[in-house]
Amino acid sequence: MRLKASKSSQAVIPTATMADIAMLLIIFFLVTFQIEVDKSEVELPSTGIRVEVPKKSAYVSVTELGYIRVSSGEEMSVQVPGAEEVFSFASGLIARDPAKEFVLKADRNVPYRLVDELIDALKRANVRNVYLLSDEEARSSGG
Amino acid sequence: MKIKRENKVTDEIPTASMADVSFLLIVFFMITSTFAATRGLDFALPEQDDNPPVIEKEESTLIEVMPGGQLIVDGQPMALDGILDYLRPKLERNPLKPVIIRPDPASEYGYMVDVFDELRQGAEQGVEVKNISIPTQREIQAFWY
Repeated sequence: MRLKASKSSQAVIPTATMADIAMLLIIFFLVTFQIEVDKSEVELPSTGIRVEVPKKSAYVSVTELGYIRVSSGEEMSVQVPGAEEVFSFASGLIARDPAKEFVLKADRNVPYRLVDELIDALKRANVRNVYLLSDEEARSSGG
Repeated sequence: MKIKRENKVTDEIPTASMADVSFLLIVFFMITSTFAATRGLDFALPEQDDNPPVIEKEESTLIEVMPGGQLIVDGQPMALDGILDYLRPKLERNPLKPVIIRPDPASEYGYMVDVFDELRQGAEQGVEVKNISIPTQREIQAFWY
């Protein structure tokens, strides 16, 4: 009797679906990807109400030590000496886009005097919408 | 003579390298993307007005934020979670009653945000504060009496 030679099966890992999964992950990252235009390290205040900040909003950040940085939302932030420069910066952006939104990213421990000067500068520059950047409040804290 | 049969070419798109390229892109996105905070309290600034409407002190509620976070509401010390209960009867009588937050320049910014957030959250508890104002020091010096 003649024995039939057994067929050798090739050890292949199917990789076709891997590309599909990878593509799905890429699409996810592309949709959610947002460049962080301001990398100032601040301890944000916590709030219960938090609305999504529009993309491409301009940023004004102030650290606990009082360092102020600004960004138009399209490039990395730069440090400015004080509120008057924030006023000039905001006026320029509002002249181009009167509906431009601004994000105030301030450290919760910064003296209010500094924040007051920044809000005043934004008001004088005719900024309408400001978002006070915050972290999520722990519900159990009870105020 | 025996003619050798031509090797059959299979019509196949090579996809093995696609996964490599895709994973390289994923690694790039994972390294460059950060979990940045992108939420906050929305705060509509009023339009510049050289002659703002005069509000009598009696018509409004004044919340002063002192250094250290102490709150003085209409001249009385009050805890943060007591503000909405205090405002409830006043807003029932006048839903448009202005509530003015006046932080001391030496107080910390976080305390002002706590008060503002508390007032905004009032809507969830049936105490909607529609008219919240946070005047700047310049406005206080120009218009406060």
